[in-house]
Amino acid sequence: MAFEIDVEMEQKVADFYQSLGINQGPGDIQYRLILLVLNKNEGKVTEFADIREYTDRFADKGSIGSKMKTVFQLEGLVEKVKRGGYTITDKGIIAANFLKDTTDFYKKTKRMGDIIERMP
Amino acid sequence: MTAGLILNATICFAITVSSFAFAWVLASSEDKHNDKSKPALWALVILWSLVALTYLPTTIRMIAAATDHPSLDLIMYNLAAVPFSMVTVPLIFFILYVITGDQKISGYISFLFILFGATYLALLYSNGVIGPTITGYSSMFSINSDIAINIYLVGLFVIPTAMILGMMLLIFLQRMPRHLRYRTALPLVAISFVFDFMLTDMITDIDVMQMASRIFVLIGTVLAFLAYFPPSTLQRTLGIKASQNENYEEEDEEEDENGL
Repeated sequence: MAFEIDVEMEQKVADFYQSLGINQGPGDIQYRLILLVLNKNEGKVTEFADIREYTDRFADKGSIGSKMKTVFQLEGLVEKVKRGGYTITDKGIIAANFLKDTTDFYKKTKRMGDIIERMP
Repeated sequence: MTAGLILNATICFAITVSSFAFAWVLASSEDKHNDKSKPALWALVILWSLVALTYLPTTIRMIAAATDHPSLDLIMYNLAAVPFSMVTVPLIFFILYVITGDQKISGYISFLFILFGATYLALLYSNGVIGPTITGYSSMFSINSDIAINIYLVGLFVIPTAMILGMMLLIFLQRMPRHLRYRTALPLVAISFVFDFMLTDMITDIDVMQMASRIFVLIGTVLAFLAYFPPSTLQRTLGIKASQNENYEEEDEEEDENGL
């Protein structure tokens, strides 16, 4: 399933969830981008270089590796297939689908917020 | 016979005064609104002014009917038709602007409704009206053009009403705080009330229905005022006060948690 990852948009969505006190998962820009890249490469091997293309602005090399190990691998969202290479699992796809729902929720909430803001 | 007409004139005058007052209060509250809501605010000010301008000649019409001046009655009917046919324009702009946020598109589409209104007026004036039919409660004219009535029903009635209902549905389908739901839905209910009964008022040929419509227009105006400026007792009763408690930051939260 090919789709583009809008980094700016993901940053806004993560900021929105952080403002609700959700700092992990949907509120963590690194988590969002890693999961989206993995989902984009479904059925293929995702390497660190693929992820860093999107995350360089937000994280250093070490923190992505650490997140892969302590969150994604630990919870079974990815499988390590080679050194620095991962594939998304079925559970990971469920997490990615949830992430898309969080984006839709953000858009819906923002649209309604804008409507209310324009109401005198 | 004249007592009913004078009562009718009084209701029309009450609508005029309350609509003008509401428009005035809305306009003077401009400073409290942000730049995004100002175009919608001015659309509302124009809308309520047009409601008032429709009912001002109508008041004179009723007095003219009561004092047996049919020519003045006709002149005032023709005069009231102008603001009445344009009421749709700010309403359409208001709804479209609030939903889309695009001032240009909302402006262009509401311009279409100026054309609708102008066509209605052209047909109304060229074909003339039949009347006045003066009864104990009212003075009525019949529009002598089927096309004008169709434009009036479709362009000036069905489309704006559908838009209001659509917007209300959009609001009701969202989960939002009660005070925001009140603030957004009630003005729409009030506008819909006023707008629909104004149209019923203009098209009906039954005097009691016209009188009832005018009473509902008055109720709608009061409702709109309450929607924007709810008295604190009403806010407390409905539980719609934005913040009912003062901030309390004196003590440490941990102490509260430990029961200290």
